[in-house]
Amino acid sequence: MGNVLGPGAPRAPRRGEPLGSPGSFDELHRQCKEVFPQQMEGVKLVVTKTLSSHFQVTHTIHMSTLGPSSYRFNATFVGDRQLSPTEAFPTLVGDMDSAGSLNAQVLQLMAERIRTKAVFQTHQAKFVTWQFDGEYRGDDCTATLTLGNPDLLGGSVILVAHFLQSITPRLVLGGEMVYHRRPGEEGAILTLAGKYTAQKWVATLNVGYGGAHASYYHRANEQVQVGVELEANTRLQETTFAFGYQLNLPQANVVFRGLLDSNWSVGGVLEKKLPPLPVTLALGAFLNHWKNRFHCGFSVIVG
Amino acid sequence: MAAAAAAAAPGGPGAAPQGLGGWLRSAYRFATDRNDFRRNLLVNLGLFAAGVWVARNLTDIDLMAPQPVP
Repeated sequence: MGNVLGPGAPRAPRRGEPLGSPGSFDELHRQCKEVFPQQMEGVKLVVTKTLSSHFQVTHTIHMSTLGPSSYRFNATFVGDRQLSPTEAFPTLVGDMDSAGSLNAQVLQLMAERIRTKAVFQTHQAKFVTWQFDGEYRGDDCTATLTLGNPDLLGGSVILVAHFLQSITPRLVLGGEMVYHRRPGEEGAILTLAGKYTAQKWVATLNVGYGGAHASYYHRANEQVQVGVELEANTRLQETTFAFGYQLNLPQANVVFRGLLDSNWSVGGVLEKKLPPLPVTLALGAFLNHWKNRFHCGFSVIVG
Repeated sequence: MAAAAAAAAPGGPGAAPQGLGGWLRSAYRFATDRNDFRRNLLVNLGLFAAGVWVARNLTDIDLMAPQPVP
C-alpha cells in the first residue's frame, strides 16, 4: 500500500479552542492581590511627567509618621516594540531615593518567545540584589530560569526554575523549584501550582514543603470584585486569612478597596479622581484591633 | 505508700482523658489554643471557605441602584 502519509503531508488541525499562554508564575495570584488595599501612612505626593512617548519621570515625596521622610526619583524608558498595551521592549526603569539607594530593571525581548530581565538593588553604595531572568513563552507553556545573587568567587547562588503548562483553556498546572547554595550548605524546595480560570472567578493554589498559598478571586459584576486568601507557612508555623473587596464607581470616579484579615486588622483605601485635573486623591486607614494600632495616610497623585 | 496514693486517686493527673467529658475538655483546649499551628490552620481554612461562600453568594449587588422609596 505504501506510505499514504508521506513525509511532506500536513498534520491534521487540532480540535477545540487554543489553550492560551499561562502567563508568568509570579502573576498566578495577581488578580486576587490587586483587590487588596496597599498600606498607607503619612502624606505622599507623586508627580508624574511624560516627557515623550518613550520617556517618563516621577517624583515622589513621602512624609512618614513611622520612619524618616524620603524623596524618590524614578525614570522609565520604553522602546518601540510593543507586544500589548502593558508590554513594550526594551524597558529600562531606574528608581533612586534621597539616601542613594538604587533600584534598576532592564527588560529586553531577545527573540519572538524569549524575554530577559536584569534587576539590581543597592542600599546606598552596597549591592544587595543582582538578579538575571530568562523566560520562554510558548503558545501554551511558560518556562523561566532565574539566577539570584550569583557569586562565583564566594561560591553562592540562588537558582529558581518555573514551569507552567495550560492543560485546558481553563486549567494551568505547573511548579517551582528553588535551589540555594552557599559554602557548606545547599538545599532545594519544590512547590506545585495550579490555577483554574472560570468566566467570573479564578482559583489558584500553590503547595510545597514550605507551606501553601490559596487564593480565590470573584468578579461579581462591573462594580464589585472580591478576593480571599489563605497562607500557611510550615517553617514559621503561621497561617493567615485575608478577605478583600474592591468597589468601582466610574460614574463617581471612585475606587474603594477594603480589607479584613485574621490578624484582627481592618483597613480601607479610597481613591478619587478629580477631573478635569489629572489628579487622584487617595485616603487610607488601617486598624489592628489585637495590637491596638492605628495608622492613616493620604496621597496626591498628579499625572 | 505509692499503692495507697494510686488507690485513693484512680483518675490522677497523669491519666488519659476518659469518656465524653474528657474528650470535650481536650477539644475545648485545642479550639482555644492560639499557639497551636494545626488549630490555626483549621480555623483559617474554615474562614477561607466562608469567604469563598460570601464572595460567590452575597456580592452581586448594584451600588448605583436607586434607594427604595419608603
